[in-house]
Amino acid sequence: MFLAAFSPKDDREASPDAALVRLLPQNDVGAFEKLYDKYSRIVYSLVLRIVQQSGPAEEIVQDVFLQLWRNSARYDAARGPFAPWLLTLARNRALDTLRLKSERQRRLENQTDELFSVVVAPQYEKELDEKRRAERVRSLVGELNPRQKRAIELAYFQGLSHREIAAELNEPLGTVKSWIRNGLIRLKEGLRTAT
Amino acid sequence: MTNCDQFREMYEAYALDALDPPERAALEAHLATGCAECAKAVAEARWFVSQLAYLAPEVTTPDILKGRLMQTVRSEAKSAWPVSATAATTRSGIPYWLSAGIAALMLLTLYFAWDAHRLKEELRAATEQNERNTQLVASTQQERAATQRKLSEMEEQMVNMHRETAILTDPASVKITLAAQKIQAPQMVAMWHAKYGIVLTGQKVPMPPANRVLQLWLIPKAPGGKPMPSMTVRPDANGNFVILVSNPPVAGSDTKALAITEEPAGGSAAPTTTPKWVGAMT
Repeated sequence: MFLAAFSPKDDREASPDAALVRLLPQNDVGAFEKLYDKYSRIVYSLVLRIVQQSGPAEEIVQDVFLQLWRNSARYDAARGPFAPWLLTLARNRALDTLRLKSERQRRLENQTDELFSVVVAPQYEKELDEKRRAERVRSLVGELNPRQKRAIELAYFQGLSHREIAAELNEPLGTVKSWIRNGLIRLKEGLRTAT
Repeated sequence: MTNCDQFREMYEAYALDALDPPERAALEAHLATGCAECAKAVAEARWFVSQLAYLAPEVTTPDILKGRLMQTVRSEAKSAWPVSATAATTRSGIPYWLSAGIAALMLLTLYFAWDAHRLKEELRAATEQNERNTQLVASTQQERAATQRKLSEMEEQMVNMHRETAILTDPASVKITLAAQKIQAPQMVAMWHAKYGIVLTGQKVPMPPANRVLQLWLIPKAPGGKPMPSMTVRPDANGNFVILVSNPPVAGSDTKALAITEEPAGGSAAPTTTPKWVGAMT
């Protein structure tokens, strides 16, 4: 069964990233630098893709990593791997900037998000290195119908809802919902068969 | 159809944050009942959605960003917070009520530190209880999540209070006085720190009408630069408020002035009224 392929919680808790994060409250600058070197490129690429301007993108990336440094307790390894947590944090910050939300609003929303922010990674997460996984994700999404790909990009990089995407693409709401769901299921299946 | 069936098609869109508000609220209400099947499906969907980050064209991170960040991190590692002992005394130009506010913030920080420690102990106890009695897993997890959420809130409050204290006491902060324009109202005071942001304070500020708020704007130096929107606020019953802008949209060196306008609740992307308070950067 597919769900059986997901790794148990204890495996995730022992990840090298989680071990580095645990050193941050002891002011371990070396551990922070290792995490920055490993993830700054993907975080900056993601944020720049969303906000489209290098100045604000740099500010957001700095803010995300400073939050990690100053408040690392907010990451709980028992709730999932580190990379999705960091990428979700960066995406939310970038989308907030895009929507010009007030900081107070954002704080309230973050609290709600955190309540449900458990992430379960499939076991093959470790079998497919980051570079190969990135290539596979690009290739799988690249194979989608261009408008289906556009719908997923509008949702992920611009934070649009189903209804907003349907209006933007001038497509029926049901079509947009199917495109996004089927596209992500295809990504899921494609990543699984890549290992 | 089981109760979960109606939500199966929403997992991916929920993880993507693409559900419309009523669908999102329905799924969240269902998750709040402790449905393990849906919670696991959403958690799995979150991982796949996070992989979409790789669709962003790869760009190299500017070296200057790492330099700036590591400088801050190293400096903070040396001393837990960058507020010097001398800076803790009232600097000239800070009104007495701000000094009192700083003292109150420090007391609150101590309180929250104690409370955070207590919450951590509660969290540990809840985890042990979870291990001892598997039959209570579901309810314990809910308690743990609630405690963890409260702890996160407290920690965020502590971070913000530290940040406000640093801005208000660090001699490197720039003071900006915002004078009332064509209205009878006391001036407001903003302190702008290059690293930690802006703290804006007001006292005895006239209350805006219902469904209206005061909004802070940063006026860029660049010729023709449009005002950049920032935080909104409604003063308390006594007309007092303190707001923290931890990430100003423009740097202080690129800002000519700060302005406050009255806007509809939720704020505006561009000013819709003339400024009621204005203060030039010195």
